[in-house]
Amino acid sequence: MINQYEKTDEKTYNEQMDAFMARIERGEKIEADDWMPDDYRQQLIKLISMHGVSEIMGALPEKEWVPKAPSLRRKLAIMAKVQDEMGHGQLLIRVAEDLMAPLGKTREDLLDDLFTGRLKFHNVFHMEAPTWADAGVIGWLVDGAAIITQTMSLDTSYAPYARALYRICAEEKFHAQHGESIVLTLAEGTPEQRDMLQDAVNRWWPALLMFFGPPEDGAISSNQQRNMQYKIRTQTNEELRQAFFNKYVPRIFHLGLTLPDKTIRFDEAEGKWHYQQPDWEEFKQIVKGNGPCSKQRLQLRTMSYKETQWVRDALLGNQREVV
Amino acid sequence: MKSQLHDKKEFSIYEVFSQKNPTSGFVHQFSLLASDHEVAMTMARENFLRREPVVNIWVVKREDIYVLPPKERQYLERLDNKAYRETKGYGDLPSKWRYHKEQYEKQSEVK
Repeated sequence: MINQYEKTDEKTYNEQMDAFMARIERGEKIEADDWMPDDYRQQLIKLISMHGVSEIMGALPEKEWVPKAPSLRRKLAIMAKVQDEMGHGQLLIRVAEDLMAPLGKTREDLLDDLFTGRLKFHNVFHMEAPTWADAGVIGWLVDGAAIITQTMSLDTSYAPYARALYRICAEEKFHAQHGESIVLTLAEGTPEQRDMLQDAVNRWWPALLMFFGPPEDGAISSNQQRNMQYKIRTQTNEELRQAFFNKYVPRIFHLGLTLPDKTIRFDEAEGKWHYQQPDWEEFKQIVKGNGPCSKQRLQLRTMSYKETQWVRDALLGNQREVV
Repeated sequence: MKSQLHDKKEFSIYEVFSQKNPTSGFVHQFSLLASDHEVAMTMARENFLRREPVVNIWVVKREDIYVLPPKERQYLERLDNKAYRETKGYGDLPSKWRYHKEQYEKQSEVK
């Protein structure tokens, strides 16, 4: 767009910063071409690029189930979901690119960061999906967890991110229902199907707790605090995890399923859930790229990117010479 | 087999607009990267219009859009004295019509 990234007037940095924070506090939304502090830009790039690559990595565990889906309808639905996830990646990476443009960085840099492990993706997409029940639980609970964090982020102060999230949330609702439908069918099925579902819930539970990030225990990290001052996000990790429990723990019990955490309980007086913490050291290892499927999925993503390079070159009419 | 890239052309940003039905206006959907208008059009359908009803699509190169500079956007705010341009500035009309109708009906009864 013409005028984008135009140099602003002679105001000092502090004056610009004050005016910016005043806008945030008034609840105004920031656009890509507005003046913003570098710190705000960096926080957004970090958050949105991580979200974007998580979407394209998230398509991989479910993609494994496309050839093995138990009926044509299920196959069509899970194919549609995989395509949607890639589409969400497209939206978010576009938003990240516009933020990175003034820094001279592009989509290729972002993907390169993913391939080399500098850019992390969500812990849940490092995990295995060995049965059809995993496909159901991913749709129901992983997408359910994502809906909780994304719905919170609809209020974000960065307007392009909010616009992407409105599109994404509308589609996530279909994904969650697709997952619920698989889970309910299995829950109403044979004892073997119920066992398969219970195993999948047990397998995914720690990863679902980790999805929201470590609890603050009264000490909100400086990163979270800054994001809240900038109104990039409005709730803490623990608040989001509690919202997840409120919505899903009763439903898990209604299906006659159990949780691998015998201590979980809702305290009426405190109005919050008490639960067993997952192994946060393991979480660190997983997001570092040492999860059960981290290497295999990253390899698949890298291979698919390299093998399609000729398509991108052909589209641009770039000439390649064999040497 | 190794290959070497000769020239490095880049993708451009396209803004996508679509029309829901023949009497609705075009609405901005999102942006995408594409090599040309034709590819942008194909991707627009794949990326943004998989579910929504649509009767027409525009793709526009972002660099061809002239945007109001951020500084000037603050002056877009309307002054609060434009009632004469809006229906709310004419809220007294229905009661006046009612009054005249009642007057007329009263006079007719007298006769």
